[in-house]
Amino acid sequence: MANAHNLTPIDPADSLSVTLADPTAHPRQTAAAAFPVETAGTRIRQALLRSAKGMTGLALILLVLLVALLAPMIVPHDPAAQILEWRFAPPAWAAEGSVTNLLGGDNLGRDILTRVLLGARVSIAVALIVVSIASVVGSLLGAVAGYFGGVVDAVIMRLIDFQLAFPFLLLALIFMAILGPGFSTLVLALSFALWINFARVVRSETLRIRSLEFIDAAHSIGVSHSRIIMSHVLPNVLPAIIVIATLDIALVIIAEAALSFLGLGVQPPTPSWGLMISEGRDFLHDAPWMVLGPGIAVLLTSIGINLFGDFLRDIYDPRLQRL
Amino acid sequence: MLRLVLTRLAYAVLVMIGVTFVVASLIKLIPGDPVDIMAAGNPGMTVEDMDKLRHELGLTRPILEQFFIYAKNAVLGDLGISIRQRVPAAGLIWERLPATAELAFWAILIALAVAIPIGIVTALKRDTAIDYAGTVVAVLGVSVPGFLLGILLILVFSVNLRWLPASGFRGSALASIPSAIASGDPSIFWNAFRYFILPSISLAFVLVAINARLVRSSMIEVLQQDYITFARAKGLPIRIIYLRHALRNALLPVLTVVGLQLGSLLSGTIVIETVFAWPGIGRLAVQAVHWRDYPLIQAVVLISALLFVFLNLVVDLLYRWIDPRAHHG
Repeated sequence: MANAHNLTPIDPADSLSVTLADPTAHPRQTAAAAFPVETAGTRIRQALLRSAKGMTGLALILLVLLVALLAPMIVPHDPAAQILEWRFAPPAWAAEGSVTNLLGGDNLGRDILTRVLLGARVSIAVALIVVSIASVVGSLLGAVAGYFGGVVDAVIMRLIDFQLAFPFLLLALIFMAILGPGFSTLVLALSFALWINFARVVRSETLRIRSLEFIDAAHSIGVSHSRIIMSHVLPNVLPAIIVIATLDIALVIIAEAALSFLGLGVQPPTPSWGLMISEGRDFLHDAPWMVLGPGIAVLLTSIGINLFGDFLRDIYDPRLQRL
Repeated sequence: MLRLVLTRLAYAVLVMIGVTFVVASLIKLIPGDPVDIMAAGNPGMTVEDMDKLRHELGLTRPILEQFFIYAKNAVLGDLGISIRQRVPAAGLIWERLPATAELAFWAILIALAVAIPIGIVTALKRDTAIDYAGTVVAVLGVSVPGFLLGILLILVFSVNLRWLPASGFRGSALASIPSAIASGDPSIFWNAFRYFILPSISLAFVLVAINARLVRSSMIEVLQQDYITFARAKGLPIRIIYLRHALRNALLPVLTVVGLQLGSLLSGTIVIETVFAWPGIGRLAVQAVHWRDYPLIQAVVLISALLFVFLNLVVDLLYRWIDPRAHHG
């Protein structure tokens, strides 16, 4: 799974890269030229308006973000309150359902809608933290590997090859086994599993950028290596990083749900979609809505992110149309 | 070619040694050690007993020595004793490996059997309603978590329609084929196979999505090649051109990807086996973590990783053998 979203390196003739080689440009301007803030912004906005995929994705993402942000204010009930009459209360669309529990009640008499809304916070929090850590660590190591080459590159690349010997979830399980399940283990395990996605792409992009003239120019006027990496290389790789980060957010949300479902992620009573689905599994026959509420939430979130991620990828490199 | 095989083999062996080292060192990383865990389940154990046991298990030796002992035992087929079940961990894994392997086999078979036709049709009917439907399937495929799909399938086909079993395993379906043919009774096969249907579909769905898109784009690319135009100009029937000339070449990239997908399949079985109470190594891995049964965790991780490295090696060599261009590439 971790490998499914890797981008192939774009070639130097690509429209984005041609704009890079301006040796006279100030570092900031170089960054802007690679992904010109205004023109790229306009380009993305225009493309977005034309793309049903991008618009649907963005709308779903905004919805989930809004819910996650406002959840404590908009939830109809207390997420931990166990009310006897609400036990297995059918959802509003069922014959005996009521609007008190729009998505029904669970086996302990808690309101499912309330917990689904609050679950968005957990999913989004895990996803943002994990992808931030993985993208920063992965991009830095990838840039260092690609920029310096030689032994540094060999060590980092072998580390990546080696890590690829462990399937994604197995790697996470190892962390759970060592550190015990919980929120911080979950974040650590998923970050560790995902950094290679960023490192591989950033490395190959860095290899390409390093050979361009403006890097030589920066060198010749005495700019330090670390400064070249931070202000010349990384800004030019940013579009690729953004595409992977977007798609990986969906990956993390699914992985968080899966691990929580296995009882190895977020621990009860924190409302997590995966955990709720796991709890509902035992009552499929009598209360299928216990699975449906959180299930639809996971599904809509990951569909939204995947749609938007693919839209971004199409803009970044039209030849890489995965969908 | 021989040289290539040898380099690849040497590299795989190197990775396997690394994997074994990591697995052997795992035990050093956990808070406490296996003896503490055993003692927790056995209040009668004295401190002397614990020290003796530590010594017997080799936990007092330096890490490098522990690694060599672990590696030597592993080569001899001894992967330690499961703390929880008090039987050799290797035995537990061998018992469960066939169920996982066969589940993965049916999942890949279903994935390819569905993905290839979808890929061909969506490539030929590009930008039509059929193609858009294919896109929807692809988005759903990468977005639906496997465990959710599994539960929804159980809800529809087991709970509501009562067509298929919700969980369990009734022996190998592949192994039942000969006796089903010999006795002329297909129900022998069906009785085992029906347990495979829902879990393998849950595993296969994401692969269907990815592979269908891959076949589509690869097919579109191949159809633009000169030799296809030439075959058309020659007046060959269109069916022959699509199936014999185009598809063959379009399937090559799929082969490599299927190899890479074995990893995601292994990840998938961890979750899907838990959903369907499947007696495979994926579920064993989750149980081992819940039980904090470290020797068993080590064994499962070691076997899964080695298996994965080995399968990737096979796929890599197979790909180079099938596609002569890769020799020079």
